[in-house]
Amino acid sequence: MKFKAFLTEHGVNLLERRFLPALDKMGKICHLFLTRDHAIFLHNLLNGDGVQCIAQFRNEALFDDYRISSQNEDRIAFAIDVSLLFRAVRSSVSICTEFGNGPSANRLQIKLVKKLPLNCTQPMPFLTFETKGYKSAVIQDVPISKPLSRAQVLELQTALELAQDIPQTLVQVPDLNQLQNFVERMKQVGDLLNVSISKYGDLHVQISTTLITLGAEFRKLLVIGEHAEAPSDDRNQSAQTRSERAISRGDAQRVQVSVKHFSRSLHCHLAKPDCTFYGIAPQGSCLTVIFQFFIPGTHQTDKSISLHCRLPVLDPGSS
Amino acid sequence: MSSSAVEAEAPDLVCQLDNVQGMVDALSAVRWKRHQDAVVELSEHGVVLIVEDTGCLQAKVYLQRELFVRYEYHAEGRPRFGVSLGLFVDCLNSFSAPGRSSMIEIQYPGPDMQLLIKSVDSLDACIYAEIRTRIPDTISWDYNFEPAGSTPLTFTVKSAALKEAIDDLEWPGSSIQINLQPDPPCITFKGEGHGDLQIDFTYYVNTDLVIAFHCDCQVSYRYKYKFLRATTSNLPSSVIKDNRGSKLTIGRGGMLKVQHLVSVARSATSHPHIDFAGHQQPSRIAYIEFFVKSEVDE
Repeated sequence: MKFKAFLTEHGVNLLERRFLPALDKMGKICHLFLTRDHAIFLHNLLNGDGVQCIAQFRNEALFDDYRISSQNEDRIAFAIDVSLLFRAVRSSVSICTEFGNGPSANRLQIKLVKKLPLNCTQPMPFLTFETKGYKSAVIQDVPISKPLSRAQVLELQTALELAQDIPQTLVQVPDLNQLQNFVERMKQVGDLLNVSISKYGDLHVQISTTLITLGAEFRKLLVIGEHAEAPSDDRNQSAQTRSERAISRGDAQRVQVSVKHFSRSLHCHLAKPDCTFYGIAPQGSCLTVIFQFFIPGTHQTDKSISLHCRLPVLDPGSS
Repeated sequence: MSSSAVEAEAPDLVCQLDNVQGMVDALSAVRWKRHQDAVVELSEHGVVLIVEDTGCLQAKVYLQRELFVRYEYHAEGRPRFGVSLGLFVDCLNSFSAPGRSSMIEIQYPGPDMQLLIKSVDSLDACIYAEIRTRIPDTISWDYNFEPAGSTPLTFTVKSAALKEAIDDLEWPGSSIQINLQPDPPCITFKGEGHGDLQIDFTYYVNTDLVIAFHCDCQVSYRYKYKFLRATTSNLPSSVIKDNRGSKLTIGRGGMLKVQHLVSVARSATSHPHIDFAGHQQPSRIAYIEFFVKSEVDE
């Protein structure tokens, strides 16, 4: 089992400035799943009551000189502490920029090693970051779990495939900061969030307890997938009536999720996506958030990067 | 124009406010513990929110009708309702977004006697809330504040200095003595508990802190620290930033009245293109009053 690669400058930027800060908020531990073509960061796919978060990169987006081999079709997966990984990348970057000299000097190598730590009799696996400066080399070892067994990798792969279903209707949230701000404040009022999404392009989030109902409705959002014209007589109704009617017509779905999960998924904006879409998976099985990234300077989707979250549904609702 | 039936159905109050954060600040100032029941009283002059603690401490927030962009009052008498202060503030806070002012409409009562709040500044994004109200409890203790004598016993200090002094008195804790003496004019806060601490505001020495002082005879009363602390514990940062003063008056029986001013003005930078008032109106201030009963010496 071998893995060795160099992080490209673009890859370092993506990880250090965008994805690792976002993934760090999603949970302490994630799985890193490396294949011949992809590097995938997975949160909560195997042990599943939290927010599932899947960040997938084509190898070229992060690495060059990428070498992987294992007896399991060149697939390697292990669990890693995101905050440690983040710290290692960050400090490697600072060393690179401080001492880097010439195009090849400040390359950041990453590889899988087994080492015998102090006071241990058993060698332990690490993900090692090696930065070669002008006169010195800095090596950082990030401890990782034992690589996943063939059966566990298969399980992870299956979970990953199951997590790819796309909702029939997706609405685009234009201002993620505004939504996050609102949800952060909403958290004070209750724990359960009703989310309904209609084919008219309405996103309605609401907390309802015995003492208070607090909600926000965003209308006329861009719809991807199944869409429908909003009935004109709904215009003067309250947000709640509109949602109820849309659901009874079969034009909307509603699910209940944890406010904490919802707010956590919004932290993905740290990855600086260009677009964000919310949708409810078929049969109301989960609330899906899909983040889209453009090729810099264009409006074309960068297919080498993908990020999406799946929020567990607490109540099947009226799907 | 409208029939009497429609008029009968008009809610007691529909009002609009363009500075939610100011209202959140003002109401937060009287939030000294997690669960507090408040009584809200509506009148043609404005909205008053009252909270009370164990018959010893009462606080009032006066939101005059001038603070509101629109204020339509239709009720006879003065309708009152009870509401959870924490919930009300947290809910209002959801309407306030940093960096931009948002216009909200408050209505009472809703179809089920709720307090209704909604944002009204955007057609395609709307925030709304319905808060359940209660039939208010009767206020358990009469806080009629009466002057102690012919001249009022009163002083005004910078709010920041008052807060700092009261915060410092936490260490001795329990019971704090406030002493006013006319010659030389001086206010003394004194705590005796786990050690002693005395803080003096001498009128002629601390002219930058003590803005006004009226006292013709020496008085001294003791107050429970936790009640005294409640009067400044949640003072909004805008009060400190605006360098405002707080007025303290001692009335008959040693009852202490503490008054703060909280700005509910639209912040100048947030909406430069809309200019309702042209300038910051002096009346766009919420008045906060605390009444603290003195401890009775055994």
